[in-house]
Amino acid sequence: MNPINNCLTRRAALQQAGCGFGSLALAGLCADSVQAANPSAAKEPHLRPRAKRIIFLFMQGGPSHIDTYDYKPTLYKNDGKKMPFDDARTIANTGKRATSERVMKPMWRFKQYGESGRQVSDLFSETAKHSDDLTFIHSMHTEGVAHGPATLFLHCGSTSFIRPSFGSWVTYGLGSENENLPGFMSLGPLSTSGGARNYGSAFLPAANQGTTIGKNGKLDRNATIRNLGNADLSKSEQLRQLQFLQRLNAEQLKSGKRDSELEALISSYELAWRMQNNAPGVLDLVNETQETMAMYGIGEKETDDFGRQCLMARRLCENGVRFVQVTSGATGGVSNWDQHSKLSEHAPQAKAVDKPIAGLLQDLKQRGLLEDTIVWFSGEFGRTPYAQKNGTGRDHNADGFTTWLAGGCLKSGFAYGSTDEFGHKAVENKVHMHDLHATLLHLLGLDHEQLTYRYAGRDFRLTDVHGSVVQGIMT
Amino acid sequence: MPKGSLRQRLGVNLVFAEEGRRQIEYTTVRMIDGSSNCERVDAAGMMRFKLMFIAQRCYSMRSGILWTMILLAAGSAWAADPSMERKRLDFFETKIRPVLVEHCYECHAADSRKLRGGLLVDSRQGLLEGGESGPAVVPGDLEESLLISALKHDGFEMPPQGKLSSEVVADFEKWIQDGAIDPRRDTNPVARPKAIDIESGRKHWAYHPLKAPTIPTTRNTAWPHNDIDRFILARLEAARLQPAPDAKTIVLVRRLYFDLIGLPPAPEQIVQFVNDKSSGAYENLVDRLMKSPRFGERWGRHWLDVSRFAESMSLRGVLLKHAWRYRDYVIDAFNDDLPFDQFITQQLAGDLLEASSVEVRRQNLIATTFLMMGDTLLENQNKSQLDMDFVDEQLDVIGRGLLAQTITCARCHDHKFDPIPTRDYYAMAGILKNVQGLKHSNVSGFMEVPLPISDAAKRESELRNLSVTRLQREINTLKATLEPQSPTTFPIVVAASSFPGIVVDDDDVKTVGAWTHSVHSKHYIGKRYIHDANKGKGAKTLSFIPKLPGDGEYEVRFAYSHGGGRATNVPVTVFSAAGKQTIIVDMSKAPPLAGRFLSLGTYRFEADEQSLVLISNEGTNGVLTADAIQFLRVDEDSTVTTSPASQAEKELSAGERQALKKSMAKLTADLAALGKQKPAREMVNSAVEKKKPTDLKIHIRGSIDNLGVIAPRGVLQVANYGPVPEMPASSSGRLELANWIVDAKNPLTSRVMVNRVWHWLFGAGLVRTVDNFGTTGESPSHPELLDHLALQFVQQGWSVKKLIRTIVLSRTYRLSAASGEQQEDPENRLLTHMNRRRLDAESLRDAMLSVGGTLEFEMGGATFPANLKTDVGFQFQTPRRSVYVPVFRCSLPELFEVFDFANPSMVTGRRDVSTVAPQALYMMNHTFVRTQGRLTAERLLSESELTTANRIDHAYLLILGRHATEAEVSLSQQFLKSITDTTKKRQGDAWTQMVQAMFSTIEFRYIR
Repeated sequence: MNPINNCLTRRAALQQAGCGFGSLALAGLCADSVQAANPSAAKEPHLRPRAKRIIFLFMQGGPSHIDTYDYKPTLYKNDGKKMPFDDARTIANTGKRATSERVMKPMWRFKQYGESGRQVSDLFSETAKHSDDLTFIHSMHTEGVAHGPATLFLHCGSTSFIRPSFGSWVTYGLGSENENLPGFMSLGPLSTSGGARNYGSAFLPAANQGTTIGKNGKLDRNATIRNLGNADLSKSEQLRQLQFLQRLNAEQLKSGKRDSELEALISSYELAWRMQNNAPGVLDLVNETQETMAMYGIGEKETDDFGRQCLMARRLCENGVRFVQVTSGATGGVSNWDQHSKLSEHAPQAKAVDKPIAGLLQDLKQRGLLEDTIVWFSGEFGRTPYAQKNGTGRDHNADGFTTWLAGGCLKSGFAYGSTDEFGHKAVENKVHMHDLHATLLHLLGLDHEQLTYRYAGRDFRLTDVHGSVVQGIMT
Repeated sequence: MPKGSLRQRLGVNLVFAEEGRRQIEYTTVRMIDGSSNCERVDAAGMMRFKLMFIAQRCYSMRSGILWTMILLAAGSAWAADPSMERKRLDFFETKIRPVLVEHCYECHAADSRKLRGGLLVDSRQGLLEGGESGPAVVPGDLEESLLISALKHDGFEMPPQGKLSSEVVADFEKWIQDGAIDPRRDTNPVARPKAIDIESGRKHWAYHPLKAPTIPTTRNTAWPHNDIDRFILARLEAARLQPAPDAKTIVLVRRLYFDLIGLPPAPEQIVQFVNDKSSGAYENLVDRLMKSPRFGERWGRHWLDVSRFAESMSLRGVLLKHAWRYRDYVIDAFNDDLPFDQFITQQLAGDLLEASSVEVRRQNLIATTFLMMGDTLLENQNKSQLDMDFVDEQLDVIGRGLLAQTITCARCHDHKFDPIPTRDYYAMAGILKNVQGLKHSNVSGFMEVPLPISDAAKRESELRNLSVTRLQREINTLKATLEPQSPTTFPIVVAASSFPGIVVDDDDVKTVGAWTHSVHSKHYIGKRYIHDANKGKGAKTLSFIPKLPGDGEYEVRFAYSHGGGRATNVPVTVFSAAGKQTIIVDMSKAPPLAGRFLSLGTYRFEADEQSLVLISNEGTNGVLTADAIQFLRVDEDSTVTTSPASQAEKELSAGERQALKKSMAKLTADLAALGKQKPAREMVNSAVEKKKPTDLKIHIRGSIDNLGVIAPRGVLQVANYGPVPEMPASSSGRLELANWIVDAKNPLTSRVMVNRVWHWLFGAGLVRTVDNFGTTGESPSHPELLDHLALQFVQQGWSVKKLIRTIVLSRTYRLSAASGEQQEDPENRLLTHMNRRRLDAESLRDAMLSVGGTLEFEMGGATFPANLKTDVGFQFQTPRRSVYVPVFRCSLPELFEVFDFANPSMVTGRRDVSTVAPQALYMMNHTFVRTQGRLTAERLLSESELTTANRIDHAYLLILGRHATEAEVSLSQQFLKSITDTTKKRQGDAWTQMVQAMFSTIEFRYIR
């Protein structure tokens, strides 16, 4: 009973999805239906899509761009010198600019890779081998000095207002390619820094919220979609029970008029049954070869968990999930990428993800999936080129950092934009997080200005009133 | 001519006709104030060219404002030095125009797809008039030209993709200094957004004053039970529609139970009601249900949706530990039928109300938690921004929750659709900004204040305090004996520990902003003193927070480093049990007590209340220093402070020392034991007024860094029919705001609430956009009925219970829902029949618990442990009603999440009703459903002496509130048999599966 429902017509989806349950389809129930059985059914994009799906590798805590992908020789020259910088946290707290900070050179060696000759540090020596397939955006900037605001901005396009997450906008705009699986899945999502808001749907219809597996950067070995099985009943017993349920429903419908809403409710059990039967196969990595597993670093202590996340992401994408998020959080004693002190702890973080990411790129490529899949690597921000409080780590830096993308529709081995010579602030071809959001939506065939939802009297967008598509990175 | 910026004084258009003859230029100068003093133009050094004028005076007939058009047409005599001017034009054409075209026109030209910031740079006029932030170019004045600061990425950052080269910026500077010569004329003057016309805005239905409608007469006079029915039937008759038949009694009883108390009726209650043939049976049931404490739990929950009630924050799962008191307050308010106007006033301004008793005072304070539950981002490092976000959230709840107005749309610009100017936003925001919202630190925290305690509890606490004081005094004496001070001369640098009482040194102070350490004055306590370097005024604070040994009276003394250049107006605020007190300290003068301390007075501190001294550098006129704060028990010997050296100097023998230490240990243990006996002080997240109420400046484009004129505190003009509420100088204005909202003349409040109640009973409001009565919302289906109910609501003393009773007693409410959609009125706006409604998450859960026989009815209280650190990963296992399940923003119970529970971060007058596979998966597989199925099956099987058919029928009555049909009995029998026959499962398992299937049926999940 949702009278002001701005549902799209989903006749096609209904034909596919409405009459399931094999032999026990409720004859006649689907015939005159006009409304959706499955609110996640596939929808038409606004533009010609350049890609079908996104795998987002979220590096929680903010990896240091100048120690990974943004090579800045100036930092070596000035290492240890006190120099004036506009420190974002100091400005936010006190308004004071040009405070004296100690420049700190990168802790890892940079090398050139591939034909493109892109510079990557030893932290990502495996991923670096694919740098000819990557598109680096060195001029990212975003909002939020602290993790909470910046993480929410990355996911929802707002530092503090309650807004739908990126993935929920994608499923709202495109639906799911596979009605047996959710269109938006988040593996190992955070419970902090906005927690569920980062995969929530806010005011969008609830069906668009992310389905989660695991938590806080971890995907336990047996983690799966919730309620996907019944511990008390065998498959045949449960099928018998569901058949009984549908007969009871049919009896109840005899006394009243059938309508689309009731049909949707009835068929939701059929969808659930199909999901229960299909999803575990998708989530189960057991059918992968040893070779593939090894490529992702599965079975090796440091890389096992993130490797599983990456491999599961590939399997989900293969099966039509539109947006899969993978989270690099805590690893072996280190909380995440947030090294305010002891920058050296970037090493175990990188170790845990480098091989799996390289494996993912390799695997997608050899399966031809990279053609229409975007891989997106980013933290919520970068880090400062100077030591925090003259110590051994770096503070947050939302004014300049690096994100990379990979995908068939993008200029590969390509670097777009730049930060200043210290890597502190984006200066050339700046790409705001809103711009990146607009660009990613664009690649999926969604116009960020047309993708709106009316709530509380006005039309909302992921990019609010901002964002422009970065044409310069596309082929 | 009045003073002001040049732009205010005159608008200048330089219009150059370019048709091949650049040497002929026309310049139009419009003198806004009517004078034609062009000398000023020269004098101001703006345009160093000679102008020839042909002046023509125009007289504006309507406004009577005289303005002068000075049209000048000049030939080559236009400029003092034509070649210079040509050079400047060339400079514009080669250096300026191409840059504007390439980098700016996309967003700032008349033909931009989307104009940004209201700024046009494709004409001279556009640059001079500027956008929402003011003029982009002031010829000759680089400081005032926003264009320059934007190009330098100072404030604005233009172009957003990256800074242009310093050469380009230098070109622009030169151009502006040379008078910003620009031949481009305004070809397409922008239609600037018109100021909002409040009067014509009142034409929208929602702002019409309430007017008593005539009760319509209907052809069928037998059908209506009350006036509601007459309004409904009149519309049906006009549309040639018939009302559906009345719902069956057995359907009605389940409907009433769920609607009024949120629970299913027990089989006995159904049977009893169905068999009650007395004329007042229905009314009696309604009254009985509304008297039940379960009523407040059901209806209170509705209000908790609107007030975005939650007990934690998205950020880090920070807990709102006292929010449960608000939940209990709301439940009580509905149970006690607290008049709705008082209910609103208490929530907005309870702390400002007179209270006749401690109980009332407590209730009033708790009610204001309403204002404090916003899910703002406590971690935001820009605390001024956070403060405005906090206010914005409050305005959203007040706007949409109480008035169904989207006021927050007017934060950055006038409302695009409704007659709400930005000025109104800041007028209301100003009121709320006068409330102390958050306590700031890296992650800001909530204001917590102690609840007043009852007299008996107070006496007990005082007795305990006396003992504490006595013990403390003994300990202090011993301590002084054991640790005498050795120095014999008055030292300059003194250790904090050498002073009696509690000394909080600058080492232990909590700072906001950058503070500089110093030993410069060579006269300080501890290692140093600190100062604000006379910078960042308003952005720095110090909080000295003592660990006081017990409740009592303390003298508070402040040590600072005095001297020349020090601030003479430092606000030092003492937060004590008595509230807060600000003392202005003159730091140019030496502290009077031994050149070290200044007494701030004597205050009562209670350990669980706020005890701190807050020093701010806001508005201070010199260097602010701070060294330490001393808290001195008033009954202690204070003479020691003048000279720490005067302490006992006698030497103790080792034996004496040992004995003293022993007794000290015992006393300390006694003191600790006494401390443990003390009950924790009850706290509340309530509104606290700031000391000095102020008005707020309009924030241009919502930016805290771009302030406009002051918007005096006020209310929504369009919905104000009385005199403009006068805002007091002595308090925030919340009480005035509340009084305006609940004024009988306010056209919104009563309509909004009546409509909400209608929605909660019918599943759709008379206005279906329950939180939006603006022009983008829907119009009422029955405007006269809405007004009739709203007026009646006010006349009946804002009684929610009377309103609900009137509605459920109508015949309209009692219609059958069975007939389904009507061709003529597919959305059932005219109410030919009752809407079928989905069972909400709480009712679904409570119904399963109730049917399983395990629901517990304990009311109120905290429902998570006091020592819980975060909501993350909380295990929900309570068998209590859903309204008492903690509402955590980071982790809701799965059932709530899946079945469309209201998002606790947003005002939710109307919940989503979704149908998704995860709901089905939950019903099929979740332990909760399986467990309740098993318990229900056990219950059913424990009823002795029943045939299987009768037992199945009983299951239907218990679970679905009706008897089973023959077909259903037979289907169920077959199912039970198939299980026990083929899978060797026991009877109990078979019944469990059957019950679980019944939970999943359509009927269980709907109210018919």
